This record gives sequence, C-alpha cells and structure tokens, in this order.
Amino acid sequence: MTYKEIYNDTIDERILSTVSTQGIRIFFMPKEGYSKKYAVFSTDYGSIDNIFVPIGARDRLEVPEGIAHFLEHKLFEEEDGDVFEKFSNIGAQVNAFTSFNQTSYLFYTSNNFYTGLEYLIDFVQNPYLTDENVEKEKGIIGQEIMMYEDNPGWKVYFNLLKAMYHEHPIRIDIAGTIDSIKAISKELLYTTYETFYNPSNMVLFVIGDLDFDEIVRVVNKAEKEFDLTTGDIERIIPDEPKEVKDRLVEEKMTTSMPMFYMGFKDADTGYKGRKMIKKDIVTNIILDMLFGESTEFYNKLYEEGLIDTSFGAFYTCKESYGHSLLVGQSNEPETLHNRILDRIKLPADEVLKEDDFIRIKRKELGNFIMGMNSIEFIANNFTDLFFSGFMITDYLELLKEIKYDDIIRRFNSHFKEENLSLSIIRPL
Amino acid sequence: MKSNPERIQIAKDIYLNIINEGKFKSNLLSYYFIRPLDRREVTKNTLLSLVLRRASKNYPRTIDLERKLEELYGTNLSLGINKRGERQVIRYTMEWPKNKYLDEDYDGEIIQILKEIIFNPLVEGRGFSKSYVDQEKENLRRKIENKINDKGAYARERCFEIMCKNERFGLFPLGYVEDLEDIDEVNLYQHYQEFIRTSPIEIFYVGQVDDNIISALKSHLEIRRDETISIPEDVLVGAGQTRNIVIDELDVNQGKLVMGYRAAIHHNDKLYNPLLLASDILGGGPNSKLFINVREKESLAYYIGSSTYKYKSLMLVESGIEFDDFDRTVEIINQQLEELKAGKFTDEDVAKSKKSLVTNTESIRDSLFLMSEFFFSQLISGDKRSLEEVLDDFQKVEREEIIEAAKRIKLDTIYFMRNKKEEVGVEK
Repeated sequence: MTYKEIYNDTIDERILSTVSTQGIRIFFMPKEGYSKKYAVFSTDYGSIDNIFVPIGARDRLEVPEGIAHFLEHKLFEEEDGDVFEKFSNIGAQVNAFTSFNQTSYLFYTSNNFYTGLEYLIDFVQNPYLTDENVEKEKGIIGQEIMMYEDNPGWKVYFNLLKAMYHEHPIRIDIAGTIDSIKAISKELLYTTYETFYNPSNMVLFVIGDLDFDEIVRVVNKAEKEFDLTTGDIERIIPDEPKEVKDRLVEEKMTTSMPMFYMGFKDADTGYKGRKMIKKDIVTNIILDMLFGESTEFYNKLYEEGLIDTSFGAFYTCKESYGHSLLVGQSNEPETLHNRILDRIKLPADEVLKEDDFIRIKRKELGNFIMGMNSIEFIANNFTDLFFSGFMITDYLELLKEIKYDDIIRRFNSHFKEENLSLSIIRPL
Repeated sequence: MKSNPERIQIAKDIYLNIINEGKFKSNLLSYYFIRPLDRREVTKNTLLSLVLRRASKNYPRTIDLERKLEELYGTNLSLGINKRGERQVIRYTMEWPKNKYLDEDYDGEIIQILKEIIFNPLVEGRGFSKSYVDQEKENLRRKIENKINDKGAYARERCFEIMCKNERFGLFPLGYVEDLEDIDEVNLYQHYQEFIRTSPIEIFYVGQVDDNIISALKSHLEIRRDETISIPEDVLVGAGQTRNIVIDELDVNQGKLVMGYRAAIHHNDKLYNPLLLASDILGGGPNSKLFINVREKESLAYYIGSSTYKYKSLMLVESGIEFDDFDRTVEIINQQLEELKAGKFTDEDVAKSKKSLVTNTESIRDSLFLMSEFFFSQLISGDKRSLEEVLDDFQKVEREEIIEAAKRIKLDTIYFMRNKKEEVGVEK
C-alpha cells in the first residue's frame, strides 16, 4: 500500500494518510506511549446543509430542521443488538456529535482498538430505520431540545445568530425544534443518508499508539460497497445580505444576571483552505489584542464591574459565514456594547500595538504546542480543519507567518458598527 | 509511569511530589491547599484564592501578570476550588510548553512566578489591596449566584444541600453571599497568614525532570509554618434519617430529577470497588440499566445516569424529564435498583463495567493534570496503591460483592425541579 507522510519537526508529530478501497480518506497520527486510542469517522454534513440535491436526483430538496442531528441519533440503532453494547463489551466508549458543518462518530479505548474500529465503520455505514424507531427517537430528542431551552447560555447564543443572519441556515437550531422534528420520516432520513454518507464525503482520523497497516486493513475489510460516488454534492445556501438582520434581541429567563452575546458579522467570506484559516487566526489575534485579559480595556471594565471572568471574545468562520463574538454577563450590557463600539472606532495603530501583537503570537504558539498533548484536541481540530481544506500539521507555520500588517488591514475591514448585533437574556 | 511519585518533604507539612513523564509537550505544577470544609472559613478561603490570583508584590497590577504569562508562551495559570468529601481544596496550577520546542529556558522563571503569587502577595498597609478585595467580593458574589444558570448542576447541589443539611458536606464549596459582608482587606489578610501557616500543602510537578527544575521546586520558602490543622475524617452517615422529597418550582421547560442515596461504604472498605461497579451497571453509561430502560425503552429522557461520591459514599441518579413523567421515572429507577440488589444482571454486565472503569482509569496516564489529580486524591485518602494496582483491583471484584454493595445503597432524598404549577380554575 502506498501512504503519504507529513512530518512537522517543530512539534515532532507526523500524519500518515491513504484512501480505502471504497474511497474513505484515512489519516493517522501515531502517539507513542499514550493509553488512549481514538478514532473519529466524520461526514462533511451538518445542520447548515438543509437544502441540497439528493444523490441520483435532479431537483433540490429542503429537509426539516434538525435532520442531520436526528440521523446521528438513529445510526446507533441496529437490527441485531445494540451499538452501545457492542462497544462496551470490548471496554470502549462510543459517542457522536453534530455541529453546523459536520457529523462525527467517535470511539476510544485502551484495548481492542481494531475490533472497535470495525464496529465504528460498520454501524455508521449500516443504517437501520423503521417507522417505529424513528417515532421513538422524537421523544428522546424532544427532551434534548427542552434541555437546551432551559440553558440561558445556549439561548443567548442562538438568539444572536438569528438576529445576525437573515437567511443563512446557521440561524437554525442544530437539534431542530419540537415542531420541525415531527416532519422527519424514515424516507427523508434515508435520502439524506445516501447523499451525505457516501465514502467520498467522509474522512476517518485515528490517533494513538497503533499500527497504520492494521488500521487500513481493518477499514478495507469492514467498509461497505458503494455503487455511486456522490462527487461534489450540490448544497444550496441562500444569498445572505452583508448587513445584520436585527441590531438587538432580548429575552427573559431564569438566570442570576443579564447574559449577553455580541457579534460582528463578517462581510468578507467565500474563502477556503489556507486563506480562510489565516483570516481565522488573524481575527482571533486581533480580538485578543482588543479585548483580552492583558489589555487596559479589559482591566478597566473589570475594575468597574462591567464585566467579570466570564467575559471572552473569539472569531469563527467557514466558507459561507463568519463572526466575531463577545460573550459574558453584565448588569449593563448596553453600556458595555457602547464601550466596545467606542473602542473599535479608534484608529488601528492606536488600539493595536506591535509589541502586543508579538506577545499574543507567542501565546498562540505555546497554546497550540500544548494542545498537541490532547488526543481529543487533535482529533477535533484535525477534522474541522480538514473539511475546510487545511492540514493541522501546517498550522504552526501559518501562525508564524502572520505579520503585523495583516492585523491592521483586517481590523479596518471587519470591525464596523453596522455589522454588530447584541443579544441579551435578562433575569425574570 | 510505573510507580508512585517521588515524595520529598520541603518544609513542615509541605511535600513535593515529582512525576517524571517525558511524552508530553508541556510541564505542569500544582499547589494544593487542604482545609476542613467549614462554614466559618469556606467563603474566606475562596475569596482569598481569587484575590491572590490578581497580583503579587512583584506584579502589583493584574495586567502585568497577564502580560508576563502571555510572553512565557501562554503559560496557563488556573485556580480550582473544590470539595473533596468534607475538605475544601484550593489548587493553583501552572502549565507551560517544554522549552525544547521553543529554544528558550524559562522553567525557573515560571516556577518562581507561581511561588510569588502564593507566598508573596501584594500588601498595602495592614491588609491586601482594598480595590482587589472589593472587586473579587463582587466577582465571587456573582459566581455563587450563577449556580442557577446551569439547571442540572443547580439541581445536584440542591440535592446535596437538602440531603446533608446536618453535615459539612452540605456546604457549597464556593461559599455564601451573606458571609461576604464581614470580610475586608484586613481580616482577609489575617486569614491568609493563618491559611499559609497552617494548611497542609501538597505540591505536584509532572513533566520533564532536570536539576534546574528540581532545585527551583525545592528552593527554600521564606515562610513561617505553625502547627498544621488536622483535617477531620469524613463522617459516613447511613440512610433512613431524613428521607424526604423536595420540589422546587422555577420557570423551566424541563424537569430535573435528582435522587440521592447513601451507601456508607468507606473507600478503604473492600466493598468500595464493588460499589463503583454497582453504580456503573445501574447508570454508568449508555449500556446501563437506567439508560436502556428510561431512555431507550420508554423515551422518557435524553440523559439519565448515576455517579458515586467517593469520600462521603453517596450516589446520585440524575435525569431531565417531562414534569408529568416524574412518577413513572421514579418508579423505573426504584425498580432497576431493586433488580440490581436482587442480582438481576449478567456476568457480561460485570465484565463490561470493569472494562469501562479500566478504560477511564487508564486515560489518567494521558493527561498531566489528571495524573496530578489522581495522585493527590490517593494521598488524601491514604491509599498507597499505584495506578497499576488500582487497575488490578477492579478485576478482582466478584459478582456477590456487587450485590452486597448494592444492598447497602439506600434512598435518602428525592429532589425535583419543575415549572410553576398553574392555578386551577383561573381563566387565561
């Protein structure tokens, strides 16, 4: 078998890769001396992919909100026996999650890894759906949705996304709503499954003290045969205006004090790969330089009691969207909002100093190196970056390349008053 | 990591525990302070630890300290305030990248900063800085009041509070808002002096070991040590004294059920491991009796599980359900626990639970932080076994012992958080 190998000497880590017989891309990072062995099998399919052209069809289909997450739950159902039981028989723990952009199935164990890997490929590739088991799941997911409904931290975030975006499906709740999941049927689930769970749309990442030959052998033996290749799936994201939809959204819930999320909507989207990841790193460095714990701004607001240790700022983006978020709790969210606006209106060279840039970059460097201790950190970031067209092993070099000029340029284009929405949850 | 840490006494009741571990990209240093969990000092200890985190004599402004940590490649300084049975444990941890990745030598400097923060605080006049104390009083008040934001965690704390109202374990580890009033910068500084002179202190270092690091860790501390306080043994209470049902009515969408049990099996008792297995078979994961019967068979919940609390030998069963499903869920939980006591579980169930405990315990080896926590926990429970011996002992548990341990599990308190009941007969 022919493998590709990428080695990064700064962090002293390597990634081996190949493609299975049926087209699953397989990546492996050896981690000698670790007890835990971890595999995550992911499809490039999340809650935002709710309008698409199904495999073998010609017309676009809009599916009910929450179907990607619903499907994730249902893949754990087997005709003969139970997926959880199989994994626990070998001492492994299995789980899954659905995000805006991907659905991932993972397991970890210290022993019997290759048996677990076979089970993982097998259960993800063999859906077993009946009208009865689809109905049963609506009760369970209904309780999951209710749990989020009582979580003010979750509500304040999704209220913001709904305020920022007019049409983009990122405004949809990942699990859907009690009403939207009612419309989910066995047939719709099979259609989405066949489109998005084709091997050409999936990636397997394995990490631990393991042997790559054996991993590849197990995958080739366990995988199912597929007749059709999905190729590039046509996904339809409605046109999204550059402006935010609403500047302010408020709700009342059982909380101790007002919580807020503020978001600068990114007007500069449409990139993939290196360019997008660079924008991501640059924007996060700016946020740290503007609002981080080592700024006079943060310390002043903290001393005034306008913010507390819950305050934080970060940027996130994908090809079709991006936003900088400022989150926390405050007795005066509007005052804070105005103070933040005052700050972004100052000239770039006044708020962003080069020595701060150098310091924050050192911090980012150290954080990434320390992240390489954690199998979970690596696995989650690998897949997320991979679906964005970027290899985790190139991250450190990209970070090192970032210049002070990149920071100034981006500040001037992204942080604008008209791009800002504010979401508040107030106590009852 | 085959054996226990090397343990060196460096002052009266101050021990340095060293774990030489090469596979990680960072080093970790933790200082643990052990105090009795006591209403008279619980709030003071928490506030004290927050105030110390703000500044030291050499870094009198928080911002200077933050900038220094960022410059040292994002060295992470974290603070933990927890209860371990009827002890309050305050932990300061530094984690930083190994200098071989960054070609700089800064280990000694980082170790020095942590010592500074703890042993060389900023003093103004006869006390701490008044403004830092006032700000942290406000910060702590908010942290305590924030309990309500996480409904699941709030329900759990309420159950402990009700169940252990006559025991020290019923105290909330962060303290009480009403106790903040009497604390000021002068009496807090007096408390600090007692805290630093009389607390047993355990220091854990995990990472790369060389002469410079060891001498920096061992170097003499210029502090006075008095007779250290003795930490009382945890009091194990059997059930049956205060059996009760408490219902809180709040503005929520989902009911939170917490059932509190007592087993009164000391962690040195030979039935302790069997108790862990009994709880795991009952509600340890997706293959447990509760998950299968409450979630999979009846669709009553999204999450349901049980967990044990080592030092007090308590067990909690927690779930999120519809308000009207309270009786049905309690009935199934009771029935499943009775089945466990009657031995209605298979040898395979036992084998699976053993494997699950082993996988979880083995993963301690993959984290600097978990290693330090594990060995600290071994120390305070007077358990001299290595990680390997702990793992071996799980295998020795017999089926009959699990039944015997299960029979000791007695229901004490049922706590339920539900919505406000609408008044009957009032027209809307």
